[in-house]
Amino acid sequence: MRIFWLIVIFMTVLLPQTTQAATEIEISAPGEQTIPLALVPFLPIDGPESPKAIGGFLDALNADLELSGLFRFVNPDAFLDDAAQLGLFSTQVNFGQWRLLGAETLVKGAYTLEGDSLVVEARLFDVVNRRLLTGRRYVGRTKDVRRMAHAFADQILKALTGELGPFSARLAYISNQTGDKELWLMDVDGHNSVRLTNHRSIVLNPDFSPQGKELLFTSYRANNPNLYRKEIYTGQEAKVSFKKGLNVGGRFSPDGDEIALTLSKDGNPEIYLIDRNGAIRKRLTNSWGIDTDPSWSADGRQVAFVSNRLGNPHIFTVDTYTQEAKRLTTQGKYNATPAWNPKDDIIAFTRQENGRFDIYTIRSDGTDERRLTFGPGNSEHPRWSPDGRFLVYSSDKDGNRAIYVMRADGTGSRRLTTLESDCRHPAWSGRW
Amino acid sequence: MNRLKGLAFLLFLIALAVWLNGCSTTPSTPPVDEQAQVGSTDIGQQPDIAGIGDQEIREEGVPSHEDVAGLQRIHFDFDQFTLSDDARDTLTQNANYLKANSSIQVVIEGHCDERGSDEYNLALGESRALAAKQYLISLGISPQRLSVISYGEEKPLDPRTTEEAWALNRRAEFKAIQ
Repeated sequence: MRIFWLIVIFMTVLLPQTTQAATEIEISAPGEQTIPLALVPFLPIDGPESPKAIGGFLDALNADLELSGLFRFVNPDAFLDDAAQLGLFSTQVNFGQWRLLGAETLVKGAYTLEGDSLVVEARLFDVVNRRLLTGRRYVGRTKDVRRMAHAFADQILKALTGELGPFSARLAYISNQTGDKELWLMDVDGHNSVRLTNHRSIVLNPDFSPQGKELLFTSYRANNPNLYRKEIYTGQEAKVSFKKGLNVGGRFSPDGDEIALTLSKDGNPEIYLIDRNGAIRKRLTNSWGIDTDPSWSADGRQVAFVSNRLGNPHIFTVDTYTQEAKRLTTQGKYNATPAWNPKDDIIAFTRQENGRFDIYTIRSDGTDERRLTFGPGNSEHPRWSPDGRFLVYSSDKDGNRAIYVMRADGTGSRRLTTLESDCRHPAWSGRW
Repeated sequence: MNRLKGLAFLLFLIALAVWLNGCSTTPSTPPVDEQAQVGSTDIGQQPDIAGIGDQEIREEGVPSHEDVAGLQRIHFDFDQFTLSDDARDTLTQNANYLKANSSIQVVIEGHCDERGSDEYNLALGESRALAAKQYLISLGISPQRLSVISYGEEKPLDPRTTEEAWALNRRAEFKAIQ
């Protein structure tokens, strides 16, 4: 019934303003009830079953939906004979059976395997109202099976909340796997990692452009921390900011037109806005102390940053039009790495307490501060998913520093990279 | 034939390694950490030769690359870039050395321990390097001879997570270039 009412509310009240629908429904908010979902193993359309080819689909889909926190999974051991029926039209599904098991939503699918090419048809049904919510057909190679599942997970979230999921995006991060800190790229579940740079120097702190598949990062390749821009598919690299001193922490504005970064060309680190080619447009801060680590608000009007102008490092915000700065955090003695939620006025940041860093969130008006991680070890570098529902971060809680993902309320944490190398500074791409 | 090619490639690699090795000891490149740290004890191990040689060079005022051992690193407290009394003494020695070796240019590297945010530490490392630079200028060293670079927490001397390692890693280093 819950899902019925959700859809009714969505259709009648929120449809005219679809982009806001997801935040208004807030079915991912902590404490909200979850939707019972039956996730049925996919069947071959004809020919023998091929668990090796299709197994990754269910694994990846299950992991994405579990991370979403929206669902409660119906135990597969309880499935009745409809689970073995191929019929994918709503008229062919025995919804009564699924209601009997308590399912309110149902995922069924089928696949065709020919050599290395795989076709997957996936459907999400509303069991209560006996109808199709979303259906997708994916065509690709067997190695792409997990990406097909991520794409379908995104569609499931869209069908139920109005907002696409972030699972078919990419994560950029810094790893020292080759012995040097280089820029790497992987899927949101940690699969398909690939190295993007070969600077054999120190590469730091990547950021995705909102449009296009482009990354900003800092590298010491030319014996100074300079800012570079890289196109992922062509591999082309452009020099963006090569000023004397620091050219670090580059962050694309939400419209992709400007870059906020820290420059210390005049001997003191300050936040500047530059264009895509490095020409300075505006200086945002002017204090005797360290100003660093910019992060844009969703509307592009404000920038959060770290400053020690009052003694200890604290989070501040500055209006990009008036250049008026306001202090945001008042607790703790060391607050750093702010990350502004792309959908909401919430800022994630790290705070050091008792010698260890943990991740917190606070509203941009300074209220509702919450602690999301509780050790062990240090958790740092929080960055939001493009839908604002998840945080990716780095932690050394399992030993070596690795990349983790969790929900916006700090629950559901899971590790994405192995512990064999040092991985840090993750960034979540926009829609891929 | 393949074996011959393999041998030729191996010889090429060896030649390359020898050549690169040769490059790294030419005066034009900055000396590596170890030289700066243990240079003075090296001289002690060869008292006669090194002692005499050092004296002659100083009389002639000709800087020798080995004398880079005269530039000592300084250390800082956590989240601080103010110069301690020890650091000031060391910088005074460094300034005297630079006055005696007037053709040497110096890159001052600022470093931090691993605690704290990476970005903030890049800024802090730069503040440390700049504090050292300003003090050297106040002692009469020309600003044209001094440049700074911050490595933040990226190049620890001691990678362990102990108080001793952190104290060692919070530092400014002085790398001479001709």
